[in-house]
Amino acid sequence: MAELTYRDAVSAGIAQEMRRDHNVVFLGEDVAAAGGVFKATTGLLDEFGPERVRDTPISEQAIVGAAMGAAMTGLRPIAEIMFSDFFAVCWDLVANQIAKTRYMTDGQCSFPLVIRSANGGGSRFGAQHSQSVENWAMAIPGLKVVAPATPADVKGLLAASIRDPDPVMFFEQKSLYALKGEVPDGEHVVPLGKARITREGSDVTIAALAAMVPRAEKAAAALESEHGISATVIDIRSLVPLDTQTLLESVAKTGRLVTVEENPRLCGWGAELASIVAEEIFWDLDGPIVRVTTPHIPLASADALEDAMLPSAERIVAAVRQLVD
Amino acid sequence: MLASEAASQLAEETRLKLYRLMFECRVLEKRAYDLFMQNLIKGTSHLALGQEAVAAGFGAAMREDDYTFCTYRGHNHTYVRGVPMTAILGELMGRECGLMRGKGGSMHLTSTEHGAMGSYAIIGAHLPIAAGAAWSAQYRGSGQVAVCFFGDGTTNIGAFHEALNFAVIWNLPVVFVCENNLYMEYTPISAVTAVQNPAADRALAYGLEPILIDGNDIDIVYETATAAIDRARHGEGPSLIEAQTYRHGGHSRADPGKYRAEDELKAWLEKDPLPSYRSRLLSMGIDVATIEAIENATEAAIDAATETARNSPPPPVEIAHNDVWADGSSAWRN
Amino acid sequence: MNILMPQLGETVAEGTVAAWHKQVGDAVEKDELLLDVETDKAAIEVPAPIAGVITEIRVAAGQTVNVGAVLAVISAPGAAAADADDAESAADASSESASDAGSIAPPPPAPSAPKANTASAAARSERLKLSPVVRRLLAEHDLDPHAIDGTGRDGRITRNDIVAAIESQGESASPAVAAQSARPAAPVEGDRVDFDRTRRLTAEHMVRSKATSPHVLQAIEVDFAAVDAVRAAARGSWRRERGYSLTYLPFIARAVCLALKDFPRINASIDGDGLVLHKRVHLAIAVALDLDGLVAPVIKDAGDLTVSGLAQQIVDSSRRARERKLGPDELQGGTYTLSNNGSFGTLITAPIINQPQIAILSVDGIVKRPVVIEGPAGDAIGIRPIGILAQSFDHRAIDGAYSGAFLARLKELLQTKDWAAEL
Repeated sequence: MAELTYRDAVSAGIAQEMRRDHNVVFLGEDVAAAGGVFKATTGLLDEFGPERVRDTPISEQAIVGAAMGAAMTGLRPIAEIMFSDFFAVCWDLVANQIAKTRYMTDGQCSFPLVIRSANGGGSRFGAQHSQSVENWAMAIPGLKVVAPATPADVKGLLAASIRDPDPVMFFEQKSLYALKGEVPDGEHVVPLGKARITREGSDVTIAALAAMVPRAEKAAAALESEHGISATVIDIRSLVPLDTQTLLESVAKTGRLVTVEENPRLCGWGAELASIVAEEIFWDLDGPIVRVTTPHIPLASADALEDAMLPSAERIVAAVRQLVD
Repeated sequence: MLASEAASQLAEETRLKLYRLMFECRVLEKRAYDLFMQNLIKGTSHLALGQEAVAAGFGAAMREDDYTFCTYRGHNHTYVRGVPMTAILGELMGRECGLMRGKGGSMHLTSTEHGAMGSYAIIGAHLPIAAGAAWSAQYRGSGQVAVCFFGDGTTNIGAFHEALNFAVIWNLPVVFVCENNLYMEYTPISAVTAVQNPAADRALAYGLEPILIDGNDIDIVYETATAAIDRARHGEGPSLIEAQTYRHGGHSRADPGKYRAEDELKAWLEKDPLPSYRSRLLSMGIDVATIEAIENATEAAIDAATETARNSPPPPVEIAHNDVWADGSSAWRN
Repeated sequence: MNILMPQLGETVAEGTVAAWHKQVGDAVEKDELLLDVETDKAAIEVPAPIAGVITEIRVAAGQTVNVGAVLAVISAPGAAAADADDAESAADASSESASDAGSIAPPPPAPSAPKANTASAAARSERLKLSPVVRRLLAEHDLDPHAIDGTGRDGRITRNDIVAAIESQGESASPAVAAQSARPAAPVEGDRVDFDRTRRLTAEHMVRSKATSPHVLQAIEVDFAAVDAVRAAARGSWRRERGYSLTYLPFIARAVCLALKDFPRINASIDGDGLVLHKRVHLAIAVALDLDGLVAPVIKDAGDLTVSGLAQQIVDSSRRARERKLGPDELQGGTYTLSNNGSFGTLITAPIINQPQIAILSVDGIVKRPVVIEGPAGDAIGIRPIGILAQSFDHRAIDGAYSGAFLARLKELLQTKDWAAEL
């Protein structure tokens, strides 16, 4: 085991796969010489050279388009979109081209590419650099969507995403880049489509994603020690493909579901989980399904405002206490 | 600047090949028109009647493993890569024998085994994609070239500019071909473009040589294509070619094209590449019987293809669930 | 017609046949005594609901069966068809697996009487908030929600409550276990008056309060002569200036506030294994809404008010209560409750604690009585206004001595304080 930061786990994951497969290439803005604006891709240019690790102009459509063209002709490209909010700039290439072309061509091509981006708030960057947009990607059939919460999962899920024959939208939560965690030595691959239970409890299931996972864990600890409420915490981590079985089994046992979502309220991933639970295990529910989310607003820049809007451990505790009578 | 008229040093064999390809394109596209009028082709269709010389000229100049990317007006560009007529007509009619079994339709004709890497319906999107395929060829050292066809309207969209800049700075083996048929959908291109020649006048902005040609003269198209593809294949980077041409029909089947002046249309019909080239071949001494043999064979082929495609059933409904993912499924959950 | 084991208490699930007064073959008149039934808390006599002949006795004296079990069958002329149904379904029921709760209890009741029960139980259950899993478990185990204690907020039945109820019914997890019906076996004749919301909420609260707190009643007689003297002196001017009469209630309220200061464990609530002693006194005064319900508006910080202040607040909140204009924060947060029943001249009332408080005081009629007055020259008979103050307290929180001392202090205050100075 080694202790790595979340950001170092990114380059570790890319490096692991680039060593393994010569077809893996990497492009993006400031990713090579500068090692990435978040310093998540340092060392790659040195190890793999300028043919495989390439700096691009500020051209999101060209970056994503080139990744698509390369993926359909034998390479396994990783493209970086610096801030996930910028997907709006190249969304045609992602949603209309990459996501749909395999289907439209009756399976003639596949797109083994990964688009990674820095997602979410907490960094005081203001509304255009802070939104959590996994739900944009979830809404398009043909895209796999991954959002790790720990350094080990960054490395392992990134490796699996690069090996995946389909397009994967890999959302790194920028507020977690400094987070440290244990990462297994050697080759580390975590399959997509499997959620991770971080603690088991009997009164409520709390489903969380990315930066909300540590807050859910903090809330669960407080619920246990201060209020005698025992919570299961699930790190969803793979939105598409989704591990519904782990979720349904847990909520069938606890009878209650709370989701914790950093995204603005409407159509967040938790709404889909709530719908699945309400439809498939309605007769096991002992209370309403509750979503703890950022309100449906753009994120303000001031730290006091941003912190008040993003779901906190305190808000999670309050929501659970209210739910568990 | 207009490229000078190429010396007619092309061999007879090449010329006949060029004529045949052009003729087949014309016949195929005309049949698509007829089938649409018979309501056997649904939805819409964007026909390239009158523009055959560009697709055929480039098609003949490409290597089998080169890549083409074209637009939704791409029946011909797909056909010239060697895709059977039956598969194209079947796809337009939404049948099981269709090139994509009816899942893509007229605007998305694709045959990766022939290097036809897709027809794209969002203006400009495929230019960066073509650049990506060229990057892949460059990285792998395969010598393959990507040829990317688009219309005059594309030169005003963001992806055009991103792709050109990108291709130049990475010196990618991609040939960008602008078929300027003078109309961006229903609007004259001159009314909405800051420069007179929408592609050629922008080449210098990207450090490229301006290339402006008569897109209805297949000999010139073929010579220009060969040269550009060759340069790309030998590591000399991308080209931007503007080929002037004209479509005989409207933008799509819904459009009768009444916004074009009658005398303009008349003048261009006189420059129809098919009869012009036929005359040229005859004037060069090629036997009319040879030409007629090509024409008859083509007519027979299109009829046979039409018959086969019409008899093909609609695809089974189950396939609507297939091939979102590489494993053939569409499952998003366990 | 089946004679069923009645429910002898809210949380009682079984009953024992103490003695039969009739035997098989006997004719009975309507309402004639049939048998005695008992639990460890109560015993009742069960009359015959119809006239007829006893055709079966299924449970012998000394045996214990579940509530709702068939004890006997009466056959009446004209009830033959019903009997046939009863017999058939009773036969069916008896072929189901009997409960092995250690008794030879016959299987669940035949449909005719309990059918009405189940249907209306279902109708009533719709008005209870039952979550999906609770509904499912109720259906799967054929349980009556009204027989299950809800430990959720506002008495909601949670999944754990059902699971506990199922487990506590012993090894018989068979779905054939009888549903507990809250109504007696005999059909009740008369016009039905549905509970309105207030009545329902009151009913639920009272049941829960009794189930939660072990109530002990303790009463003390108080001589209100001193209070009376002050009232009489102030009567005219008070009425003129304020528009209402000065009653005993504000004096009692004041005395309660003062006494609570010396007995903090009464101004308290139970929290798990401990008592939360509230620093401030928020006095709830129960107000009857024209014989149509009961509310207890809370006077916040009553401890800071004098008799005059209390009098004003009592009048205001009573008026607002009758006009249904009380705000939600006026109905919550009380730490002690006074229940004023004096206007009916009753002797004593054993009030039910207003949860989550731990005690409540009833004030009943204050009437002139002959009393023994001790004087220097010996005992004499005098006439005094005497009233009984009765406190129900939660025996988990305090004992009789503490409560008694509090009542003694109340009495002392009422009898000896300088009330004139308080006005």
